[in-house]
Amino acid sequence: MLVPAILSSLIFLVTLVLIFSEKMNRSITGIAGGVLMVGVGRIMHFYSEEAALEAIDFNTLGLLLGMMILVAMLEPTGFFEYLAVLAARASKGKPARLFVLLGSITTILSMFLDNVTTVVLIAPVTILISEILGVSPIPYLVTEALLSNTGGVATLVGDPPNVLIGSAAGLSFADFLIYSLPIVMVAWAGALFLLRHLFKDELAKRPRNAKAVMKLNPAETLNHPKTARKILIVLMGAILLFFIHHILHISPSFVALGAAAVALVVVQPDLNEVLKRIEWSVLIFFAALFVMVGGLEASGVLESIVGLFQGASNVQPVLFGVLLIWIVAALSAVVDNVPITIALIPVIRGLGETGMDITPLWWALAFGAGFGGNGTIIGSTANIIVATLSEKTRTPITSKLWVRRGLPVMLTTCAIASILYTILYRWF
Amino acid sequence: MEISKHMKRNVVSIPETATIREAAAVFVKHHIGLLPIVDKHKKLIGVVGLRDLLSLELPDFVNFIADVDYVHDFGAVETTRPPAETLDQSIDILMKPAISVPEDTGLLRVSALMLQHQMHDMPVVSKDGKLVGVASRVDIGVAILSAWSKVE
Repeated sequence: MLVPAILSSLIFLVTLVLIFSEKMNRSITGIAGGVLMVGVGRIMHFYSEEAALEAIDFNTLGLLLGMMILVAMLEPTGFFEYLAVLAARASKGKPARLFVLLGSITTILSMFLDNVTTVVLIAPVTILISEILGVSPIPYLVTEALLSNTGGVATLVGDPPNVLIGSAAGLSFADFLIYSLPIVMVAWAGALFLLRHLFKDELAKRPRNAKAVMKLNPAETLNHPKTARKILIVLMGAILLFFIHHILHISPSFVALGAAAVALVVVQPDLNEVLKRIEWSVLIFFAALFVMVGGLEASGVLESIVGLFQGASNVQPVLFGVLLIWIVAALSAVVDNVPITIALIPVIRGLGETGMDITPLWWALAFGAGFGGNGTIIGSTANIIVATLSEKTRTPITSKLWVRRGLPVMLTTCAIASILYTILYRWF
Repeated sequence: MEISKHMKRNVVSIPETATIREAAAVFVKHHIGLLPIVDKHKKLIGVVGLRDLLSLELPDFVNFIADVDYVHDFGAVETTRPPAETLDQSIDILMKPAISVPEDTGLLRVSALMLQHQMHDMPVVSKDGKLVGVASRVDIGVAILSAWSKVE
């Protein structure tokens, strides 16, 4: 099994490096890597097409697709602009208040929607509000990305690593609310407090025109108020079902796809327009990673990593969990957290088969993957989106600035998570 | 009907060494929408439009927000001017490659080109590439319509 193990690891590592270098689109890299893994696996007799298909977690893909359809329908109604404009008016043009309001809205949205989507929808209005106020948009934009990454850790549907972990570990939406939400709330408050301090100079500047935001009319931002209301009702229904899906014995992906189906039937939008707004490349990226990690598992690589971890886990289980938080966070800061999570899931599952109590480890993985993405400008897709958007403005966000603001947030949130993890360990 | 009979011949132009501030002054003085940029031999090398200059002052958000109807007051942006270092830069950073036509081009062809490229003014050049005139959409449109009165 040595040659297959070396070849499959090589394919996976080269793919990761290519994704990291951003020389090629990550989904194209993923497709190529996945096909190569299956091809080599067939020649070397360690992996088959059937096994590759089985490796794909359709529960994750279904949940992501369902939520994407709902957001794709909600987006053109102007609902997100509506919320941002409300926040701007409520702030009365005071930067510190606007900072907290926009940060909170972004966090709440990112708990139920994908972080990337949240940021894509809130960032443009944020630029608008700061420009008419006459202040720099940078503190607001950076904070929105960091808080959406942080808030997303709180729920099953908040960010992709949680969707993956929830599906693999059989954790329900309610489990996340019980075990993750409280810790995230403390970490979030710490992050907001720290960011408020890090940006204190920018936020102390008085806006040149504070009155202009009061003339923004929230009602006019809603292009289709009736459609918005219908989709929001369906979304609320879906969130309620998420709370009790484990009692009803239905999967989160069924809830999400079911809600998408109801919304489509009720609103009957131009389907092609909706499908255009869905991030197919993300879904393809996930599927490709599943196929690749399936190859790693089939060739026995993950088994040896499990063995390696087993040796290390002779240390205190609590310490092992805290170490996992920091290792995963460090990896997630430099590489996309999705491949890290997909690769570590079978490893943790393998540890479980050796008799170890792995429930706390799932939470450690979720905290590390979620909070780690804050550290650098490339740490999470939300960061990349905000940075790319700001590059098209007069005030671009540099990667140096990101490290100065994001890294302290990453360290603080991971530290808070580690402390609470240690205290609450018995509870997990 | 050839374009040369329907264009303005007293064209203002600037050299590419001019600054953005100087170009803006020419727009203001002559009340024009398009400014051709020429070399020492009066050969047309590019154009800069009123719109290109205005983009220096337009806020960033108009590029991201499809519908700015709900923004009733542009607030601080209304009183923001481009910084002096931008205005003192050479005009060539805003220069666009010129789309132009020779003097003997037919009016309908010019009209179609302007529609396709969303132009308001068309520079006209001689055989050796020298700028000889500019025709506006109105100049060309009116010239085409004037023939309709003779239709029996």
